[in-house]
Amino acid sequence: MRKVILGVLICMFACGAAFAADDVIRIGFFNSLTGQNAFGGQLELEGVQLAMKEIPEIIGKKVELVIVDNKSDKVESANAVTRLIENDKVSAIIGSYGSSLTMAGSEVAEVGRVPLLTTSSTNPLVTQDKKFTFRACFIDPQQGAGAATYAIRTLGYKKAALLVDVANDYSVGLAAFFRNSFVKLGGEIVSDMRYNSGDQDFTAQLTEIISKEPDVVLLPAYFAEGAIILKQARELGAKFRFMGGDAMDNPEMVTLAGEAIEGFIYTGFAYAPDMPDMNPVAAKFTELWKKEYPGKETNANAALGYDCYMMYVDAITRAGSADPEKIRDALEATKDLPTVTGVTTLDADHNPQKDIGILEIKDGKKTFVGTVVPEM
Amino acid sequence: MSAERGAKKVRNRFLTVLAIISFAVFLQQAPNLLDGYKIRIMNMIAINAILGLSLNLIYGMAGMFSLGHAGFMAVGAYVSALLILTPAQKTAMWILDPIAPWLLGVHAPFLISILAAGLAAAFFGWLISMPVLRLGGDYLGIATLGFSEILRILITNLTPITNGPLGLKGIPAHTNLRVSYGILLVTLFCTVRLMKSNFGNVIKAVRDDETAARTMGINTFQTRVLAFTIGCFGAGVGGALMGNIITTIDPRMFTINQTYNTLMIVVIGGLGSITGSVVGSVLVTVMLEWLRFVENPIMIGSTQLFLSGKPGMRMVIFSLLLIGVIIFRREGVMGMKEFSWDRLFSFFSRQRGDAA
Repeated sequence: MRKVILGVLICMFACGAAFAADDVIRIGFFNSLTGQNAFGGQLELEGVQLAMKEIPEIIGKKVELVIVDNKSDKVESANAVTRLIENDKVSAIIGSYGSSLTMAGSEVAEVGRVPLLTTSSTNPLVTQDKKFTFRACFIDPQQGAGAATYAIRTLGYKKAALLVDVANDYSVGLAAFFRNSFVKLGGEIVSDMRYNSGDQDFTAQLTEIISKEPDVVLLPAYFAEGAIILKQARELGAKFRFMGGDAMDNPEMVTLAGEAIEGFIYTGFAYAPDMPDMNPVAAKFTELWKKEYPGKETNANAALGYDCYMMYVDAITRAGSADPEKIRDALEATKDLPTVTGVTTLDADHNPQKDIGILEIKDGKKTFVGTVVPEM
Repeated sequence: MSAERGAKKVRNRFLTVLAIISFAVFLQQAPNLLDGYKIRIMNMIAINAILGLSLNLIYGMAGMFSLGHAGFMAVGAYVSALLILTPAQKTAMWILDPIAPWLLGVHAPFLISILAAGLAAAFFGWLISMPVLRLGGDYLGIATLGFSEILRILITNLTPITNGPLGLKGIPAHTNLRVSYGILLVTLFCTVRLMKSNFGNVIKAVRDDETAARTMGINTFQTRVLAFTIGCFGAGVGGALMGNIITTIDPRMFTINQTYNTLMIVVIGGLGSITGSVVGSVLVTVMLEWLRFVENPIMIGSTQLFLSGKPGMRMVIFSLLLIGVIIFRREGVMGMKEFSWDRLFSFFSRQRGDAA
């Protein structure tokens, strides 16, 4: 019995150490494919794979995607990136959903001198003072300001309340940036309530907020808690409107929250499968997605995965080489590249300036309302 | 007879020193022999072994079922990181609330920060042990788990000191093989000496039968407090080393999952065995990384092997292996036994005897 098990293990090891040809470009992909962030990670992977199917070769070399899971865990994230660089010798890396996971990985990439392009990590600290770390999405200060601008300029709201997940860096950051802009634009924050990820009962906070009679409540939550909050607010007879951030952009959300989500507005990446006046890249992406994954709804995470791959295609083509340092230099010079989520130009901090999309749930369906330029 | 025993003792000590020196030479050469990925795993082995040893002291040797390890690791990691970060880094990072002014100028070199991390964790351990160690069994587990969560929530909410949920980043990667294995060696040495001393016997006596120990005149409460505090010191050091290798920490790193990881190492290695904790650490750390290949598509000929290439498969197989260990060798790989040269020699001579 013991010998059989040993034999099986040795066979597995032998298979694991498979070799690959030399004339390939290896792009590493580390993301949360299991664990609490698995939903976003999986969509981003499908976006990357879709792009890879479209352009399987760059500068005459076949692209090989090396996928590693980080279990939505920081230690695993750092290990995963180390493995990509040292073991798989990748030329470039596409990074993770969840800013803290990307940060753990990017520290390794900086030392290993391999460019890391993050799909959807919006925390400003991710690229701060980094040489090899880039991102394809906007940052939270822009998103928070975008939400505040839209609430005041377009909707004419004056009084806002915050309902923040204090155990979540994304939620705390977004709320802080929203507050700054909202106050600066002449609004007033009437209530600032808190909860922790995993909480189930929000009636105490909601009752307090209802008593302050705000026009709008910012809810920078992930969709699991967000859906419960929306439901409980509706049951308590809340009259105000809810606004959220890109983490609420999830096809499951409407199923979870039911009717309570009607009228919910959130900021997100400027992409939705049903948006009007789609740019040509977005139209192509949507068409390819429908062909490849019929019956599965796409979202901005998948679009960002697609964008990341295309940004590397552009950078590697301009660099004319699969050398990580040359790819880094080319990536840094990314300028006016048409992508699904808008035209991408990376600034000195390696962040793109992208329009903030405004989405609303109308008749139980995600509807793209328009874009907003944040007043910072 | 006693001369023979004396000779054996000299031989054993000689072999131990030889083993340490050859391992040190290997570590010195490791950067030339191994790639960064393997070196990282080796570092993680050392850190996990330190964490395992410290939890083993509390759970395996003193018999206190503690689920609070992650909380004490968090204290250690934060204390060390806050001491190492430069004022410039600190001002750039606190974007939600400004940093507490007194904290800005606090600075210490790496090794001192590790020591401070251990002391801070030991202090919190001592603090909680006073009320909680009057409990036993599962109740102790629940109370320590609760305290660990309290520590984590404090860290999450004390934004001016800890930067709240945003965590800290840019901690210099001070942890290298020399540091981690140096500290592991010190930990091993201290644990072995401790367990061989009278205090070691007292701890085991308290674990095996508290009433009997008290009848013998042992102050059982004080003994347990001391063992718990020393264990927490180890947790703080381990947490600090971990922060210095990942270079970024946040409160969500130190949930109950982190405690389970360490507990797994202790249980797989063998409760109460020092060797076991080291062996457990090697097994768990290496297996988790090595099993990654099952998440890549495995091709046999031109067909893909069933279930390969699925994210998460690694954890399924790992869990199956764990269940196997628990069913077939419940006491862990080492049981309560320790490595000794004598046993190694007798093992080989028995083998030779069989052959002849």
